[in-house]
Amino acid sequence: MPKLVVTGIGIITALGNGKEVTVKRLMSSKSAIGKLHILQTKHNDLPTGEVSYTDAELKAFIGMPSEQRSNRTTLLARVALKEALEEAHLNQDIPERVAFISGNTVGGMDKSEQYYADFKNNNRKNDYIGMHDCGACTEMIAEEYKGQFKLTTTISTACSSAANAIIMGANLIKDGTVDIAVVGGTECLSKFHLNGFNTLMILDQEVCKPFDAQRNGLNLGEGAAYLIVETEASAQKRNVPILCELSGYANSCDAYHQTATSPNGEGPFLAMQKALESSGLKPEDIDYINAHGTGTPNNDECEGNAMMRIFGDNMPPISSTKAYTGHTTSAAGSVESVISILALQHHFIPANLNYKQAIEGHTFKPSNKVITDMSLRHVLTNSFGFGGNDSSCIFSTYVPSHQDQNVINPHHHPVFIRAASQISIQKPLGEQWFEHPLFPNTANCDSQEPDYSKYISPMAARRMGKLFKRAIVTAMDVIQKGGQEPLDAILTGTGLGCIEHTEKFLNAMLDNDEECLPPTPFMQSTHNTIGSQIALHLKCHGYNCTYSHRGTSFDSGLLDALTQLHLGNIHSAMVCGHEEMSHDYFNMLGKIGYWKQGETNTETLRQHNTPGSFSGSCSLNLLLTDTPSQENLCAINSFDMLYKPSEQQLLEALQQCLKHSNLSIDDLSAIVMGLNGDHENDEVYLNFANKSCPHTPIVWYKHLFGESFCASAFGAYTAAIMLQRRSIPPHMLYAEQASNITPKHILVYNHFQNKDHTLILLSSC
Amino acid sequence: MENLIYKLKTEIIDVLNLEGMKPEDIDENAPLFGEGLGLDSIDALELIVLMEKNYGIKLKNANEGKEVFKSVKVMAEYINEHKTK
Repeated sequence: MPKLVVTGIGIITALGNGKEVTVKRLMSSKSAIGKLHILQTKHNDLPTGEVSYTDAELKAFIGMPSEQRSNRTTLLARVALKEALEEAHLNQDIPERVAFISGNTVGGMDKSEQYYADFKNNNRKNDYIGMHDCGACTEMIAEEYKGQFKLTTTISTACSSAANAIIMGANLIKDGTVDIAVVGGTECLSKFHLNGFNTLMILDQEVCKPFDAQRNGLNLGEGAAYLIVETEASAQKRNVPILCELSGYANSCDAYHQTATSPNGEGPFLAMQKALESSGLKPEDIDYINAHGTGTPNNDECEGNAMMRIFGDNMPPISSTKAYTGHTTSAAGSVESVISILALQHHFIPANLNYKQAIEGHTFKPSNKVITDMSLRHVLTNSFGFGGNDSSCIFSTYVPSHQDQNVINPHHHPVFIRAASQISIQKPLGEQWFEHPLFPNTANCDSQEPDYSKYISPMAARRMGKLFKRAIVTAMDVIQKGGQEPLDAILTGTGLGCIEHTEKFLNAMLDNDEECLPPTPFMQSTHNTIGSQIALHLKCHGYNCTYSHRGTSFDSGLLDALTQLHLGNIHSAMVCGHEEMSHDYFNMLGKIGYWKQGETNTETLRQHNTPGSFSGSCSLNLLLTDTPSQENLCAINSFDMLYKPSEQQLLEALQQCLKHSNLSIDDLSAIVMGLNGDHENDEVYLNFANKSCPHTPIVWYKHLFGESFCASAFGAYTAAIMLQRRSIPPHMLYAEQASNITPKHILVYNHFQNKDHTLILLSSC
Repeated sequence: MENLIYKLKTEIIDVLNLEGMKPEDIDENAPLFGEGLGLDSIDALELIVLMEKNYGIKLKNANEGKEVFKSVKVMAEYINEHKTK
C-alpha cells in the first residue's frame, strides 16, 4: 500500500483565521469561547465558539465580491481551503486526478432560516433556495477554482463528517482513483442547530469542561479545516514539502442508540482499534490523543471507557480541544486533525481546559496545562457523530520510505449486486414495475407504502418519519432476499435526509420564537440518522457513511463501496438511496424550475421541451458482495465519477470503463439514462448517447420513478433487474426500438445539472 | 386529579406518537421508563417540552426529569404542585 502524506492544511475557527494564530492561542491556553455577536438568536447567552468575522469580512479574505450570494458554511470553507491549497502549492491550478470531499450538515441553513418567510411568500430570495442542501455548499466551494477537481462529493455524518471525508479521500487514493484528495469539513453556526442541541439539553450554560466530573454539556462552535492528502510519490513528484503522514484511520458504528453512545464505548473502541490496525502501530506507539471530548456527560464517560479498553494503564497524554474552539460539529474531524498535525509540527500538547476532577471510573487524567517541547511521533484523533458514527485518524511524523512501497495495486476484486429492494411510486418491495408499471401523472408523487407493522413495532415506530420506515423495511427486505451474510458496511445516499422533520423543526422554531421546541424532529433532521437506524436494526458495527451530494448522493455511496470492496477492506456492503419530499421544499424547488407545470405524463416527459420534471420519493437498498454466486443479479464491471468533464473527457472515461472490461461500444446492449423531461437535463443525456453510442437502445426509468436527489439509484437498480431477467420490457425503452433484446452489458449514465457525472458498467452473471 | 391523569395520558400518547395506544392502556402507577412503558431518554426530553408548553413548568436538566417521570401519577402530582398555567 502506498504511504499517504499530508502536504497542506488550512483552518479557521473561533481561535482565528489560519494555522499561526491557532498555534499561538493553543500554546498560550487561550479559549475562544464567548458570547455570540454575529448569529442573531434568542439564546445569545449560551457560550459558543463563533468565528469573529462577518460574512462580508470572510468574503474579503477570499476576494469574493461583496454582492455575490453565498452562505457562511461555504465562506468558512473557502477561507480554510485557500490556506491549505497554498501550502500544498495547488492554489494556481488544480491538476488532474484530484478529489474534493467536503463534510457538512447544516448546509445553507443560516440563510434558509433567515429567508424562510420569503421562500414561502415571495420571490425575493429565490437564489438562496438552491443553496440550502449540503451538496450545494460543496458545489459552490469547488466551482471557484482554476483547473478542475476530477470528482467532488459531500459527506454528512453529523459530527464525524470531516473525519469521514478524510477516510474516503484516503481510500480513493489507495484504490488509484485519484492521486490527491482535498478533504475536510465546514459548518457555520445556525439558529437551527443551536436550538436543536438546546432541545437535547446537552449545551453547557458555562464554558464546557471535557472529561471533568462536573461537566455539563458542550459549547457549539463553527469553522472549517481542510487537508491535502496524497501519496508520498505524488508529493515527491510535485516537489512539495511533506508535513506528516496519514498513517491510519477507521470508521465504525456503535449501533446502540440514536444519540447516546454505548456505556462501554463499543463504536469508539472499534474505531480506535481498527485505526491502529490499519497503521500497523501498537497502542503504546501513540504519543497523544486528541479526544472527541465534547463535555457532554455521555460522550466523555463512554469515550474514556473506550480509551481505557484500548490503552489500559499506559494511557498516553489526552486532551480535548473543544474548550478552545467549541464543538465545530461537521468540521470537528478536520479541525482537530489540523490541530493534531500542528501538535506534531510544533512539539506540544494542548491543555484540556477546565478539567479538575476525573469522572468516576476513569483512571486517566487529561492534562490541564499545555505541554511544550514534547517530541511526538504518532497522534490519534477521535471524531464521533450522532447515530454512533465513530471515526479515528492517526497522523505520524514523516519518515521517508523505499520507493517500492508506493506502488498502487491496480488489481480489482470483482463486485456483484446480490439483491435489491425498493419502495417507490411503483408497487413496493418487488419488481411489479417490470410487467405492470404504473405511469404517474402528477407533479408530486409519493411512494406506495407497504405494511410497516410487519417489520417495525409501534414502540420503535413512534418517532420515525416515513423515510426511516422505508429505509428500515427495504434494508430488512434486501437482507432477506440476499441472505444473512455478515454485512461489513452501510453506505447511504440522501440529498436532504428527513426533510419533513427538518421542515417541522424549522417551522416550529420560527413560529414559536425559539421556545418549547420538540427534540425528535431535530434529531431526525441529521442526514445520517437513516444509515444509523439501519445499523441499529441490523446490529451492524461496520463502516457507516452518508453522502449528501445532490443528484449523485447514491452514486457517491456506490463509489465508496466499490473502492473499499476493491481494496478488500470490506466484502459486503449495503448501498442505499433514500429521499422523501416535503410540502415546503416541494413548493420552494418548484419556484426554481424543478417541476413541470400542469399535467405530466410519459408523453410530455418524452417531448422534453419545457423545464422541470415530476417529484418522486426514493427508497432503494442494494446488497453488494465480492462473492460470485448464481443468485447475484449482475456484476459491476466499471465505475467512474467525474466533475464537470468536457465532452472529450466523458467519452474517454467511457472508453476506459469499456477497456477495463475488455468490451467495445458495440457490446453494450443498452444505455440507461436519467432522462426526466427537463429540456436541459435531457439534452445532456441525448447528446452523450448520440456521440458515444448512437446505435445503442436508450432505456429510461424516471418516467416510472420520478425525480429526486437519489433517483439515480433506480438507474442501477432497473439495469440490474433487466440483466437478471435477461430482458428489457418495452415500456422502459425511450424510443421505439426492437424490444426483444437480451441484455448482457448495460451502461448506466447519470448526471446532475451537467456538473457531476457517473458511468456504471453492469454485466449479466 | 383523575382528570389530570387522563389528560396527561392523552398528551403523552400524542406527543410521543404512541400509535394504537389508548389512555386506558397506560397504568398510571407503572414506571414510564425501562420496565413499564419502555420509554427512553429522548422521550424524557419530549416530556420536558410537554411540561413547559402545556403547564409552564421548566426543568433545568434532564436529570430532574428522572424523579418527575417515575410514573404518570407522580408526574401528575408534580404538575399539580408546580404548574404556572
